[in-house]
Order: sequence, then structure tokens, then C-alpha cells
Amino acid sequence: MGVTVLQPYPLPEGKSGAYIIDHLSKRLLSLGATHAGQFLVDCETFISTPQHGGAPSRAVHVLHNSEYPASTFSIIDNGTGKQVSLVADNIFDLLMLKMTATFASKKQTKIESRGARFEYGDFVIKLGSVTMMEHFKGILIEIEYKSCVILSYCWEMIREMLQGFLGMQVPKDYPNYFTTQTIMNAMGQQQLLHAKHNDLYEPMDTVKQYLEQFTNYRKHVNVHVGGAAGVSVQPIHMPPSSIVGVGVGMGRP
Amino acid sequence: MDKLNSTLTAVKSLRSNVRQCFEHLADGTDGEAAEESRNKFVHEFQDKFGAINSQLREVEQLINALQVPQTAYSLGNTAYLALETAQDRHTLYPQLVNSYKWIDKVHDHSFLAFNNLNQNTLRRSYNYCSQKRPRLPFSSFNNDPDHIDKLLSEINTPPHTSYRVFRPFGSNAVAIVTISNVLKAAIVFKGVLIEWVTVKGYDEPLEQDDLWAESRYEVFRKVQEHAHSAMLHFFSPTLPDLAVKSYVTWLNSHIKLFLEPCKRCGKYIASGLPPTWRDLRTLEPFHEECRNC
Amino acid sequence: MAMASVSSARESLQHALTNRFLPNLEYLLQGSILDSAVEHLMHRLKGLCDNVDTSPEPFHDLEVCMSLRQPNSNQPLLLRVRRAMDRDAPMQMRYLGQPEVDQRRPTLVRSCMDCACTNGILDFLTEMGFRLEFEYLAKGYMFRKGRMKITVSKLIKIVHGKQQDMANEPISQSYIVELSVVAPTGQENVGEEMRVFAEQLKPLVQLEKIDYKRLGPMP
Repeated sequence: MGVTVLQPYPLPEGKSGAYIIDHLSKRLLSLGATHAGQFLVDCETFISTPQHGGAPSRAVHVLHNSEYPASTFSIIDNGTGKQVSLVADNIFDLLMLKMTATFASKKQTKIESRGARFEYGDFVIKLGSVTMMEHFKGILIEIEYKSCVILSYCWEMIREMLQGFLGMQVPKDYPNYFTTQTIMNAMGQQQLLHAKHNDLYEPMDTVKQYLEQFTNYRKHVNVHVGGAAGVSVQPIHMPPSSIVGVGVGMGRP
Repeated sequence: MDKLNSTLTAVKSLRSNVRQCFEHLADGTDGEAAEESRNKFVHEFQDKFGAINSQLREVEQLINALQVPQTAYSLGNTAYLALETAQDRHTLYPQLVNSYKWIDKVHDHSFLAFNNLNQNTLRRSYNYCSQKRPRLPFSSFNNDPDHIDKLLSEINTPPHTSYRVFRPFGSNAVAIVTISNVLKAAIVFKGVLIEWVTVKGYDEPLEQDDLWAESRYEVFRKVQEHAHSAMLHFFSPTLPDLAVKSYVTWLNSHIKLFLEPCKRCGKYIASGLPPTWRDLRTLEPFHEECRNC
Repeated sequence: MAMASVSSARESLQHALTNRFLPNLEYLLQGSILDSAVEHLMHRLKGLCDNVDTSPEPFHDLEVCMSLRQPNSNQPLLLRVRRAMDRDAPMQMRYLGQPEVDQRRPTLVRSCMDCACTNGILDFLTEMGFRLEFEYLAKGYMFRKGRMKITVSKLIKIVHGKQQDMANEPISQSYIVELSVVAPTGQENVGEEMRVFAEQLKPLVQLEKIDYKRLGPMP
């Protein structure tokens, strides 16, 4: 278990996702990396059914990461900016099904990232294609440096590695997830979240980065469908922190 | 006893006769030879076969004439093994024989190892020069627990490094060093001399009951290799305290293992690894490939 | 680059359910014994059970029961969270279904799901809308015989706001004795196995299936 950084890869005009993945795999292999299996990260969101009027709706995001096959990761967002995260056995999935009366699954927003996994020294690189309801949404690149547990120690290494096989510049600043973020709380005040780049890294951090990216992709589809078909789509509740994350965020070239 | 002896002799000659008979059969006839030689062959075989038969009878007679010995033969101490009545202890005798064999083997091997090690000039623990030149005998391998505790506590520890000392092997100390959140190292002492170093990642377990397993990360396996060569470099039997101090200072320079690029090529990564080598004097970081050019 | 693709967690869970190797049924017998007689029972269990080479395994757990009101149903959803007070272990969350009332079966049978969790579970459930229903401490010993689990424990009421341990008082002058097995669906012989074992503990303790319906609504 080590520091992991998740980056979306911008799709150039006129190139298909499969083409980019193929291209990047070839670059990795020629760099000396070896192909080491497949991976899958999936996410399903449950929304609380409206009960007593006024109470903000709560969202439970349930994620799985094939790197930790016996665990279910869940993050609850109570609608006022507070998030609580939990790691549990897989049985947690069955328990969620017991609560369908209170928490309904948003089936149409089930989203996943899957693809090939590469190893290079102590690095693990995963090239994932993101799909939601069988629709291709984009490419997420995950890079993990297994032997280090603090981002600020090894960010320069990870950056050099990323630049090496992506063939593009990566900014010197820490990725958005790790830096201080300003969020609005329920009372409309600004709150400073603690910066994570000097914290011990945990598997939950990887999952939270995925959730942040997935939320971005979901938002895109909603805007798109809403605009094109003229159907009003109930916006899914999103953690305010990740909304800020979109603006400043990881959508760097 | 005589009877037993003659019986054994009879068995012996029976065996040799049987053997001769089979040899004769295996040799066969001359091949081209005619009726005559074939007859001769059959006759000889019949003779031998007859001899075997008569000898077999003789052996049987002798065996029947044998008496069950009145008293048990004296087998020394091993006789007591046979007296054991518990069923599960009957197997002790073969085990005993096995252990003797093993002890013999161990003795042989250690003798060979001893000879080999005697030729090795890197031998550090024992005073081998004193025979040629009388010199102040050094006592760095002597054990004085208080001295080691004092030495380790005197080492100028940077705030990010912590030491945990314990003695799992009697009086010899093992120090587990945790350098910031980067790595853990177990230093095994023999007296004041460093005997072994194991390097592992911060999130890997390093406990006193498993000091020898290698790290699961490539980078720390490489660092451990370098740590061993540094251990030999800093070895100084005449000034053991200084040797330990400089070694620990060198080890502490790994705090920036992932943070510093290679002094020579200016890059962080070479073949998947950060600069794992720290110069022994200047403590500057180098990739393994860059360090010798 | 053709490699077997990874199956999702949901798929493997479904696989475990359909192939019946996910233990999800609890078979339970309960009884109680007076404090004064518990030593005799302990001796009896030491003679009968497997894990007594050293000494019976002690435990000291805090159980917190959380409930969630469900729309269109008067039965709230109950989840029990257990935390070990005497060792560092993950917290355990347990869902228990309604007990089956089948007179032919020798034990009480109810669906059961156990799930190990990180420490944030109580906070997590609170955010989901769960409310505290009741809590108590259970302190006692655990025995094992084959796949059967036998616990002999004292239930202790928690009195808040005072010096810990001092104020907490036992609920009664007796120990609760529970014999249980959690097994996958379709293993009918479990009940019989338990009945035979319970027979051996008589007359020290009478282990029975308790009909919760007769005891009135859940506390």
C-alpha cells in the first residue's frame, strides 16, 4: 500500500479511447514496465428517500477496488458537507440491500473504471476506461508508488514517472486532492480542510479520489442529457468539496 | 555361540553358491558349440543346483538345532530402548541412529566451514592478527550491555529518527531504527560490532521474531544491499564506537530517500528505482548505475 | 494482453450466495444460570469443549444496537455493533432477521449477517439516520466445540456520566448462556447437533429456543 495519484487523461480531438489506451500501454511496455493483470474500481450511489420535509437528502457511495478484493468502501454525505467514510467486509453490500426502503440505488449512475495494470519497479500504473451504463466516459490514469506512504516525500518521483510515459508536462503543485481545499458548509461559511500531502496515505484516499473523478463524469452526463433532451434531471447530490475540486481541479492537460 | 557361528557360515556359503549358480547361468554356453558343450553346461548346472539344495537342507537343520538364548545379549545402554513398553516409543531407536548420522554430518560441515572461514580476510569478529604482532587486543566484540545502551543513547539522534533496543539473543543487542516515515531498519549487534542490517518499508512489519525476511519492495531490498556494503566499509575494530556512530549517521541520510534526485544524472528514477546509494563520505544520493561513472 | 478480466465484488458475493458457502443463518439456543452455580458450568464446558488447552477465552464487548425507522413498515431495521474492550480488533456489525417460528426445528433460526468494520461505523450509521436503541456490556467466556460457539457472559448496564466500570452494574444475578452456530443455508443437521450438545449440559442449564413473540415487543 502506497501513495496513489489519480489523473484524468484528456482525450485529444478525433482519437478514440481504445487508441489512447493502446498507445499508452505501448509506451509503458517500451519503458520496461510489465503487464500484471487487470483491475476494476466501481461505484454505486444510494440516495435517501425524502422523508420529513426539509431534511437534506443523504447519499451513500459504495465503492469496490479490485486491489482490496475483500473490502467494501463507503462514504456517506449527509448533505451538509460532512462526510464519514467506512471500510467494511463485502457483506456490507448485502446490508445496503436491506435498506432499500430508505436508501434507493441510483442504478443509472453506476460507474466503473476498468483496464490493464502495469508494474515498473515499485510503481503500479493502471490505465482505466471509465464507463457509465455501458457508455464510455473517459480515461483515468492511476499511479501508485508502493514503497512510500507520504505524498510530499515522493511526489517529485511520481511526477517524473508520469511525465515520462504520458509525454506531457505535469504541474509541480501537489494534486488537488492533497492540497488544502476550501469548502462551503451548511451555514454558508468557508471552511478549510486539512491538507493531506503530509499525512500517512490510506487505501481510503485512493477510493476518495475515484469518487471525486466519478462525480465529475456523472455531472457531465446530467448537464448533457438535461440540455439535449430537455428532460429535467434530478441533480444528484454531490459533496461540496468535489464541486470545488472540479473548478480548480485535476482537469489539467 | 558355536552353533550360531556355524549356522551363519552355512548361510554365507549358501548365498555364495546361489550367486555362483546364477553367474553360471548368465554366462551361458559358447554359442557356436555343439551338443557336447551344451550337455556339459546342463550337467554343471545340475551339480550346482544339487549343491544348493543340500546346503539349504543343512541350513534348515542347523536353524532347528539353535536354542533360544537363556539370557539377553548385552547391548550396552541401547538395550534399555527395547525395554520400553509404550508403543509410541518403539521408534526411538531409528531416530537415535538418525541423530547420530546428523551429528556426524554437522561435524563434517562445520569443519569444512571452519577451514573456509579461516581463509576469509573479511573476518571481523576475532582477533587474528595478534599472533603475528603483539598489539593492543581490541575488545569490540566483548559484550557490555551498559556500554551499548550508553552508546546508542549518545548517538546524536535527529528528531525524526527513533531507536528501540532489545536483546532477543541473550546479551547481544538489536536496535530497530525508524527513520521518519520512510523506512525501518533492524541493526543486529555482536558486542559493539554490527553483524547484520535488515531494511524494510515504513508500512512493513519489522519485529524481533522476524529480523531476516527481505522487504517486499524492490527499493528497500536495494537499500539493504548498500547498507551491507556500508557496514563493511565503516567496520573499524580499533574504534568500534566511532564506527557505529558514523554508520548510523550514514543510515540516517536515507531520510530523503525519495526526495532527492541523483547528484550525477539529476533524475529521480533510474530503472524504476530512486537514487538508493548514499556516498559514504559526503552522503550525497546517487543511482546505483551512476555511482561508479 | 488477453487476460481474464476481474470480476466485480457484487458478482463474487452473488456467487457465494448461490453456491451456499456464505454463512447467513444463525441457529440459537439460550439459557441462564445463577452466579453461584456458574463455576460448575464452566467446569463442565472445560471438559466438553475444544479450546480449553490453555484456559477459556475471555471477552469483554460493548454492544450498541442502532435502529432505523423504515417507511411502509412498523418494524425498524436493527443493527448491532460490537466493540471489543479488552483488545484491538475491528468493530463487528451484525444484522439479525426475524426469528422463524417452526415448531419442528430444535433451535431458533434467524437470518444473520456479520460484517467487520472500521471504527467510524457508529458515526456512519448516525449520519445515515440510525438512532441509538440500547447498549450494554457483555463480559464472560467463549468456548468452542466443532463449529458450535458457547458463550457464558454477564450482561452489564451502562451508567453514563460516572467513573467507568465503577458505576456499571450487572443487570441480574445470573449469567446468560448462549449456544449458536452461523452456517450457510441448507444445513439442516446443525440444529440436531446443537440439541445433542445442549442435552449434555443438563441439568446445570436448560438451553431452549426462546420465542421472542411471547416476550412482547423488542425493548
